[in-house]
Amino acid sequence: MSESTVRYSPRGRTRAIKSFLCQFLGHGGAQAGLVCLVFFLVLAAAPNTLVGPLQTAINATGDFLVPPSGEHLLGTDEVGRDVLNLVVHGARISLTIALLATVISLVVGTSVGITAGYYGGRVDVWLMRLTDFFFVMPSFVLALVITPVVLEVMGRGGDILGFRPSLFVIIVVIGMTSWAFVARIVRSQTLSLKERTFVDRARVVGSSNIVIMVKHILPNLLPQIAANGALVVAGAIYVETSLSFLGLGDPLQPSWGTLLALAQRAGAASAGAWWDLGAPGVCVLTVSLSFVLIGNALDDTFNPRRRVIP
Amino acid sequence: MPDTADILRLESMQVHFPIQGGLFDRVLGRPAGAVRAVDGIDLNIGRGEIVALVGESGSGKTTVGRVITKLAQPTGGRLLFEGEDMTSVRGSSALRPYRHRVQMIFQDAYQALNPRHTVFDVVAEPLRSLRLVDNASQLADRVSEALAAAGLNPPGDFFARFPHELSGGQRQRVVIAGALAVRPELIVADEPVSMLDVSIRAQILQVLVDLRDKHNMALLFITHDLPLAWSIADRIAVLYLGKLVEIGSADEITFNPRHPYTVALRNATPQIGGNADRGKLPALQGEVPSAARVPRGCRFHPRCPLAFDRCREEEPPAIEVGPQHLSACWRSEC
Repeated sequence: MSESTVRYSPRGRTRAIKSFLCQFLGHGGAQAGLVCLVFFLVLAAAPNTLVGPLQTAINATGDFLVPPSGEHLLGTDEVGRDVLNLVVHGARISLTIALLATVISLVVGTSVGITAGYYGGRVDVWLMRLTDFFFVMPSFVLALVITPVVLEVMGRGGDILGFRPSLFVIIVVIGMTSWAFVARIVRSQTLSLKERTFVDRARVVGSSNIVIMVKHILPNLLPQIAANGALVVAGAIYVETSLSFLGLGDPLQPSWGTLLALAQRAGAASAGAWWDLGAPGVCVLTVSLSFVLIGNALDDTFNPRRRVIP
Repeated sequence: MPDTADILRLESMQVHFPIQGGLFDRVLGRPAGAVRAVDGIDLNIGRGEIVALVGESGSGKTTVGRVITKLAQPTGGRLLFEGEDMTSVRGSSALRPYRHRVQMIFQDAYQALNPRHTVFDVVAEPLRSLRLVDNASQLADRVSEALAAAGLNPPGDFFARFPHELSGGQRQRVVIAGALAVRPELIVADEPVSMLDVSIRAQILQVLVDLRDKHNMALLFITHDLPLAWSIADRIAVLYLGKLVEIGSADEITFNPRHPYTVALRNATPQIGGNADRGKLPALQGEVPSAARVPRGCRFHPRCPLAFDRCREEEPPAIEVGPQHLSACWRSEC
C-alpha cells in the first residue's frame, strides 16, 4: 500500500464501524448472546487453570454419581469424575470443532456461490446442481455414514493438526455438509451485485475476473456471510453433539456430545443423576442459542433498509 | 476543427439480443425473435474530436457506448481502433492495451463507485490493473494528478473518503478522475451530467472540454439532450431505434436539421422566452416502438408526419445533404 493511504487516516471506515457497533450492541439478543459466548470462550481458553487437568477414570476425584455439592459443584459421573471439570474441558473441544467446521463451510460455500453467480451459464448450472445435491442430502445422515468409513480407512491413532483423527473427520464432515446453504445465499447476492455499475467500471478499467470477485463483490457480501456464519456455527454445534452422542466422538478428547453419550450409556437418566445429563445439555443449548441470537442481530443490523455500513 | 485521422470507427455495428422463446413457442416452431438494440451503425470519431450521440431512451445509445468499451459483444459489424480490428478481442489481459486508451464515464456516479472503496482505491484501480505504475509513490502522484485534473482540490483531502461522504458533483468528478488516471485517448461519456444539478453541469462539462483542449482527447458524449450536445460537441449523431438517422456538424444538426426526427427533437426542447421560432412540424406523437418489433421500411414512419408510401416499404439509406451531413430520409433526396 502507498504511504498516502496510511498518512490520511481512514476516518470514514472508523465512523462506519463505530455506528455499526452501536446499533449491533443496542440489540437485546446480541447482548445476551455475546455475554454467554464470552463466558464460554473464557472457559474454552483456559480450562486447566480454571478446573485443573482433564479428569479420567484414573485420576477421578470423587465418588460415583454424587449429586452437586460444595466439593463437586456439578456432581460427579459414573466413574467419579467431576462433571464441572468435564464440561469446561468439553467447551474447548465443542467450540473448536464448531468454529473450524464453520470456517470450512464458509470458505467452500462462498467460493462456490461467488463463482457460480459471477460466471453464470454452464458453470452456474453445474455448481448449483452440486449444491442442490448437498442441500437435499440430510447432512446429519451423510456425516453419520462418512465418519465411520473415513475412520476405518485412516485409523484412530495419531493426530492431525493437534486433533485426534475422529475429531478431525467430524470437522471436515460437518464443514462439507453445511456449505450448500451458504453457497445459495452468496450466489443470489452475487447475481445482484454483478449487475451493479461498479462491476462494469471495474471491467472497463481493466480488472480481471478474479480481482472483481475478490475486491468488488466479496467485500459487499461480508455482512451476509457474517450473519449466516453465526447460524452455521449453531448448526455445527448441533450436528457435532448428535454425532458424538451416537458414539462417533473421541473418548480421549470428550466434547459435550460425548459427555451426553457417556451419561446416557451409564443410565444417568434412570438413576436420577440429572446433573450428569443436564450440565452438558444446558451448555449445548446455551451456546447454540447465543450464536443464533448473534446471527439474527447481525442480520437485523445489516438489513439493507437499516444498514449502517455503506 | 481537430485532426481528421479517425481514432475509432464503427462499421455496420449490430447488437441483437436474442429473445428466449417459451417452451410453447419452441414446440410450435415459432422463430425466436431478437431485440435489435443497435442495428447497423457506421460512426467514426476523429482524434481530439467530441462527437455527441443523441437519442431517446431505448434508442440504443448506451449499448453503442458499451460496445466501444467492450462491455457488450456486438453480433455483427466491426469495431476498429486506429485501423486495428478490436471486435473479437476478449479477456482482461488481451484487452489491457485497449483499456489503457479507451475509458468510460458512467451516468450514475453513485452506482459506479464501489461503496466499500475509498476515492484513492477507485482512482488507483486502473493504474494497478493496467500495470501503469512501478511503485507506491508514483501511484500516489498519478492519483493526485488525476483528481486535480478532474477538479478535486486539494487531492489529498479526498484520498480516504468514501463515496457516501461526497456530493453528487464530487462523485462524478471521482469517476472522471478514474477514467483520466490512465491518460486515455478516447473517453465514452454516458450521460455524464444527467444526474447532476444544473449548476454543477457546466463545471463538469468544462472539465471534459479542457481535457480535449489540453490532451487532444477524443470524446463520445452520449446524451438525450440536443442543446447540451450542441454546446459541447463538434459533430452530432442522432440515433433512433438502433440506427443513425442523421449525422453532421453540431451547428448543422441543431440549426439546419434535415431528418423529421431531428426536427421533432429540436421542437421538443423547451425554450425560455416562448416558442416563437418553432419549425413547422408538430410535436412527436406516440411512443418509440419496441426494438423487438422494428417497423418495416423507414423505422420512423409510424411517428413521422411527413411519411409517404415509399417510407412504409423501403428503408432509406444515409443520403448526403450537405458537407459531412448525412440524413437517412427519403424526403431529403429531393
